[in-house]
Amino acid sequence: MLTLNTMSAEDILRPAQELIQVFQRARKSLRMYPANNPVYSRTIEDAFRRSDGFLLEYGDLELKFRQNDILLGDQVVYQSQDKEDNFAFFFFKDGVRELTFRRGLSSMELGEFLRAISFDFERHGEEEDIVTLLWERDFEHIKYVIDENFLLEDEVYENRAVAQAKGESNDEPELKRIYGEIMKEEDVSGQPEVAPVTKADLHALLKELERDSVSKLPKLTAMLFDFFQEADISEYVGTVDLIIDAFEYCIKTGDLRSAVGLLAKASDPPPVAQDVLLMKKELERLLEFASSPEIVGMLGEQLDSGELFETNIFEEYVRRLDKSAVPSFISILGELKTIEARKRIINALVFLGGKDIQALAKGLSDHRWYVVRNIIYIFRQIGDPGVIEFLVKAARHQDVRVRMEVLRALGEFEGQQGVLPALREALDDPEASIRMMAVRALGRMKSAPAKKIILSRINGKGFIDLDFNEKKEYFEVLANWPETETEEFLLRVLRTGSFFKKSKVAELRACAAYSLGLMGCRGALGHLEKLKNAKNRLLSDYSYRAIKRIEYGQQPGH
Amino acid sequence: MDSSLDISRLSREIVSQLAVIVRTSQLHDPRNIAVATSIEKFVSGANVLILEESSMEIEIVGEYFYLNGERVKFTMEHLLNFDFLQREFKKRALGSIKFMCEVSTADMQEFLTVFTSCQFSAEPFEDLTLKIEGLRCISVGRLRRISEQSDIDMRKTVKRTYFNAVSFTRGVMNKIKVGERISMKKAKRVVETMVDTLLDKEEFLLGMTVIKNYDEYTFHHSVNVSIISVALGQRLGLDRKSLMELGLVALFHDIGKTLIPNEILNKPTAFDEQDWKVMTRHPLSGVKLIFQMKSFDSASVRAAIVAYEHHIHPDGSGYPGVKPIAELDLFSRIVAIADQYDAMTSSRIYARTPMTPDKALALMVKRISSQLDPLLMKFFINLAGTYPVGTLVVLDTMELGIVFSANQSDNSRPKVKVITGPGGNRIESWVADLTEKNAAGGYLRSIRKTVDHNKYGINLAEYFL
Ligand SMILES: [Fe+2]
Ligand SMILES: [Fe+2]
Repeated sequence: MLTLNTMSAEDILRPAQELIQVFQRARKSLRMYPANNPVYSRTIEDAFRRSDGFLLEYGDLELKFRQNDILLGDQVVYQSQDKEDNFAFFFFKDGVRELTFRRGLSSMELGEFLRAISFDFERHGEEEDIVTLLWERDFEHIKYVIDENFLLEDEVYENRAVAQAKGESNDEPELKRIYGEIMKEEDVSGQPEVAPVTKADLHALLKELERDSVSKLPKLTAMLFDFFQEADISEYVGTVDLIIDAFEYCIKTGDLRSAVGLLAKASDPPPVAQDVLLMKKELERLLEFASSPEIVGMLGEQLDSGELFETNIFEEYVRRLDKSAVPSFISILGELKTIEARKRIINALVFLGGKDIQALAKGLSDHRWYVVRNIIYIFRQIGDPGVIEFLVKAARHQDVRVRMEVLRALGEFEGQQGVLPALREALDDPEASIRMMAVRALGRMKSAPAKKIILSRINGKGFIDLDFNEKKEYFEVLANWPETETEEFLLRVLRTGSFFKKSKVAELRACAAYSLGLMGCRGALGHLEKLKNAKNRLLSDYSYRAIKRIEYGQQPGH
Repeated sequence: MDSSLDISRLSREIVSQLAVIVRTSQLHDPRNIAVATSIEKFVSGANVLILEESSMEIEIVGEYFYLNGERVKFTMEHLLNFDFLQREFKKRALGSIKFMCEVSTADMQEFLTVFTSCQFSAEPFEDLTLKIEGLRCISVGRLRRISEQSDIDMRKTVKRTYFNAVSFTRGVMNKIKVGERISMKKAKRVVETMVDTLLDKEEFLLGMTVIKNYDEYTFHHSVNVSIISVALGQRLGLDRKSLMELGLVALFHDIGKTLIPNEILNKPTAFDEQDWKVMTRHPLSGVKLIFQMKSFDSASVRAAIVAYEHHIHPDGSGYPGVKPIAELDLFSRIVAIADQYDAMTSSRIYARTPMTPDKALALMVKRISSQLDPLLMKFFINLAGTYPVGTLVVLDTMELGIVFSANQSDNSRPKVKVITGPGGNRIESWVADLTEKNAAGGYLRSIRKTVDHNKYGINLAEYFL
């Protein structure tokens, strides 16, 4: 292996400097990009290529650290006076004095090393230092030397303690006397037998370790409630504070089951406290906290990151919240990125919003159309007539996608006050798709007032000028009222003749034929037979199909 | 060169497989076809390494195997094999086997035949050396005793580690008492150093736990419990990170005691009911203090659980007196063992006289199942040995000695620091290994009986520091 002694210093200095720069740059980009970003893995690959090349050519790289510089042998290979971004000081301040990269360093090891040095100490570094991170990784090809003085708590403690512990030793005659007594003493030995560890023991141990790998949170949460048994009334506040902290930690780590456990216990605490009422009152703070924007926001983050929780646990969680959580849920609804996450929140709001429709309705003024649409959807799922007044208002929302959702919802509230006027208004919507939906919604109602609206529209001014498909929609729903009155009306239309707007009238007649066909009206067959050969292609076509439908009860394929 | 070759795993497997073929060779002829398959497995593994690193040396240093100078980290599944192989090496005073070139199955068959047969010889190592002379590729080295000088250096390091940990704990507890924040960073580093020292010089650091300091009992006790817990955890095959977590939670297990007034803690008379009430609150106070000094994370959650559970017994007895907990945490059960052992052998609190280590161990054996976990106790007894470190013993040579460290190869034959001559005269103390034999094959020294050092006022610290 080549060492510093066998080659000139300059040969290795430059590549060593470069390698340190590579590490430094890698640290920056690993801090910048998330681990699933291609840049992240490419950074590690590149750094590995460089380090591997270096180690193969020059052998082990042994670096020494001082406050503001890094040395290779006695040559400075890095220097910085910077207070913030100082690679030397970064290691030096935690006690690292030497760092050696050995030949054989794998890309996995280097990756781990780079991850360790790019750890965000500012954000969650209060309890971590670089030495601990290196220590935990137990590298095979990266060795470091630590200045132990770093740890020294009290330099004179050892000497003092040793002197104290040693005390005065037994002098020679004293020891002799003791010896004599000891020899006289009877042997009362009762040593335990040391049974060797067997395969069965190891097997049991393995099981034990497996069991140990489960989350510790359920136990902790159960434990905290035991505190009320021992606690003085003055400690209730502190105990609940602790429970709240534990709750937050459960949510942060995605352990919703334990969080639910805490809520369950809080709503039905063991009656062990000195003052049960006071305890319950204090515990209400937990429920408030669980419903707060802070916690619901954390839940949203979890959901978005792909942690979807078990459905029943999530539902159980939501069931335990009260209506005060509604605004928190609405506010994250618009922020979630994944469909799955939104679905969960929507389901939660269907449950919670049912308890407080007013609160849910506040979401209708959200500036994001998709949030409004979601709220409408939620209203629909809630199915309570109390939502209609809000639906009616939302029917004038500027975004067509919202209006569409409103119509879908309104259509499900047949016979409820306010629904018909709203639908009638929608028939004049600037958007054709909305108008047609309104027609269909009216049709589904099959009620006399609904029919009245349809008929009066058809008879109304300007109907003839509508697009064929829109007209057809009206006639299609008319078939939902297969009554004599309808038949007669349709036959009348079928027979209409006119010199003006000839093709438009033909469209109307085709629509009537279509509707009669749908109704299976045999009384119309004679007229239809005549029209089958009409000059107007549309009319003849629809008449022919209507006949087939009436005769065979189906539409001829085309 | 494939640098991704997992050398540490390969090393483990080679040593483990060597144990397998040594064991089967004791039952069957190595030329037997079944044995040969096992041998081939060893040979192919070994040759990978020999080709890679041009030779391969398996060596025992202290209680560990080293392969080409790197310590072989064992995992739990290899524990029995490693233990067995170590005993077989030591029986033959064998320290190392070196393979200088690619080895063949036939070579190994021949080696194993000689290896098996030499165990009953009066001078097994010499016998082995002589009989393998024909094997071009394999040579053996004698078991080396760690030199006295490096022993002294190690002791210095270990002493420093120990007292620094005590001093740190003292600082932490004093800070907590006055409501100051403490540095978890430093706590971790202190424990890391302890774990490292235990992995490397276990016997020395365990030896430090026999030193008792009554004035600073709680600090020493916390460190001792941490050391003993980690030593036990290591026997259980926990990885470094888990060992660190275990050491950390053990160090803080009695943190709740900082809230107990010194008048009660150091009360020379028996506790009255009120004292007990205060005393038995320390697990609960511990939980609160832990979350005061450290935010929620896996380590603090675990520390809280252990602080809470360490006086609850598997049978539901103990305190704090709440309904029985489903199952005590593994770390709680480990710490409970370390805690009882250290408390019994050192504590003067609760107005008790300290027990000798062997008596304490014997009492703990009686508490298996009701208070202590049977499986973990089995590992603990194996760790402590028949005569735990710090036991005052009379040898059959009529010398007085103190058990200094356990011998993995023979639980009832530890290393003993001899402190008097055969007539009771004070001598410059020295360490005798009770597994040593004379030329006729008889043991040079054996333990005759154990004695209570407290009863006779013999200060162990004098011999351990
Ligand atoms: Fe305790
Ligand atoms: Fe304790």
